[in-house]
Amino acid sequence: MSAAHVDRQQVLSQDNVYLPEGAGKTASVALMGLGLLAIAGTFLAGLTGGKELAETALFAYHTGFLVVMGFMLGALVFVMIFHQTNAGFTATLRRQFENPMSLMPLGLLLFLVGVAMQWIFNSANGAYLFHWMDPAYVAGDVIYEKKKLFLNIPRFYISALIYFGVWITLSYFLFSFSTRQDTDGDKWLTAHARKLSAPGLLLFAFSASFAGFDWIMSLDYHWFSTMLGVYFFAGSAVSCMALVTLVLIILRTFGRLHVAFTDDHLHDLSKLLFAFTVFWAYISFSQYFLIWYANIPEETAFFLLRKQGVWEYFSWIIPICHFIIPFVFLMARTVRRSRPLIALACVWLLGIHVVDWYWMVRAGLMHDGEIVGPQFIDLFAIAGPVLVFAGLLVRKIASGPLMPLQDPRLDEGLNHKNYV
Amino acid sequence: MSDHSTPKAPREPETWGIMAEFAHPGAISKAAEVMRDKGFTKWDCYAPIPVHGLDEAMGLKQSKITWVMGGMCLAGFSTAVLMQWWMSAVDYQIVAGGKPLAAWEQFLPIMFELSVLFSAFGAVFGMLILNLLPRWHHPLFTKERFLRVSDDRFVIAVEAIDPLFDEAETRELLASIGGTNIELVED
Repeated sequence: MSAAHVDRQQVLSQDNVYLPEGAGKTASVALMGLGLLAIAGTFLAGLTGGKELAETALFAYHTGFLVVMGFMLGALVFVMIFHQTNAGFTATLRRQFENPMSLMPLGLLLFLVGVAMQWIFNSANGAYLFHWMDPAYVAGDVIYEKKKLFLNIPRFYISALIYFGVWITLSYFLFSFSTRQDTDGDKWLTAHARKLSAPGLLLFAFSASFAGFDWIMSLDYHWFSTMLGVYFFAGSAVSCMALVTLVLIILRTFGRLHVAFTDDHLHDLSKLLFAFTVFWAYISFSQYFLIWYANIPEETAFFLLRKQGVWEYFSWIIPICHFIIPFVFLMARTVRRSRPLIALACVWLLGIHVVDWYWMVRAGLMHDGEIVGPQFIDLFAIAGPVLVFAGLLVRKIASGPLMPLQDPRLDEGLNHKNYV
Repeated sequence: MSDHSTPKAPREPETWGIMAEFAHPGAISKAAEVMRDKGFTKWDCYAPIPVHGLDEAMGLKQSKITWVMGGMCLAGFSTAVLMQWWMSAVDYQIVAGGKPLAAWEQFLPIMFELSVLFSAFGAVFGMLILNLLPRWHHPLFTKERFLRVSDDRFVIAVEAIDPLFDEAETRELLASIGGTNIELVED
């Protein structure tokens, strides 16, 4: 449709692709400040409140850390998929995926804060996040003996460093290719990014799966699930898609990204959001189904625990709110093309995603053989890392152009139309 | 019935409509917009390739097929539930793996499969029904020039049953919006 071709100069004008000088500064500082306060509060509460509270704080902080990792890992994998598939329609939206991705070093920092907290709480009142790290707990445990070759402390930390090494390297290069292209317009950078993405996706698949095994599955080291690596990815993908779509809608509401982010782009992002919601449901049902069917004690323990007490409500709420409601809601074309409704869906999905991982991680906490229901401390232990991330993201978004300025696929992205 | 020996007289040809030819997708899209704005209802575009944006230019509404599929999906879902419940909990009870006779977990894959299968049937057959297909014959096939629609020509055909149809006026209109080789189609 040559007649409808958009004027590129007009789209790339200053006030369409940049936020005003100093925008979001207050919000960013406030969010980061609140986040740091929350982390400090978590730390003090855990340090002074005895073993149960300390372990609650560790589990809840871990949940928050994983939520943040989910945003960044989801963003990383989407950017690599866009490059790998040479996706034209995302050319104008890619920067908003690259922004969360580029914050990857924050993940390492949050991980180290978590490790420090585990260490300090452990020396203060013997609290553990990973019980297999407790020599007294695993003494004489045959199952642990068999798993010791994999599940030991040196291997755990070395792997974590390798995962972060892979993710930080990939995101650093992908981000710098993209931002360098903004200034020098070198078309070959796109080709470099594409070449890097191929091995990158492979490395990502392995590292993200093993990170899921290490950080979620080993919380209950008797339990194992072959679906968990994919579950970790599916949850990350949904949450990242919801976050980025929300960011784009907010930017559009502030009068940015005209033509670059149209209803047609929104429609496609909503479809992806819908698709990953379904994918999440497919994966989580598969995990439950296989465990239910095989009925092996070590595996069923995970779900039996989550059918007790307050966690049973969570086990009902999550499939309904994470799958059935968004599935029906996002089905209609008119909804998918409506910015306010999709923003609502994004907020909803982000919220329920946190609940999902809270259920996944935090429900595993037992104290003297009793489940520990939701506590007040969970709220700010989860909010801490998430708010710090949000603050940095606001800063990152405001600091540069809101879309790639010289991507060779820009025309395709700007003229993207959705004919269904 | 009365006399078998005399063959039936061939039916008098009636005016079915008018067809006009266009050379490229842009021309037919522009023409379709005019037809839409004039308020024609019984007309259609014929093209050898999918023309992006033509549905909008023609003023077509969203297809009803989604509702057919939605209904079929629910039908498939309920069929799966009833079938499995009746088979495994009523008619032929076998305890397998210590599982309950009727458990939603083991039913769910089939519920999903039948929902998809029924929706797909709904999509294919619903599409055929909504398009009045299959049919043996279409008046446009009597026209030699219409064959090029499967090659390199784009055609707009207005049916005589359209309330706005008037042979001379419609012919003039089609010519004014760039139609060439305008022909009367008879059935």
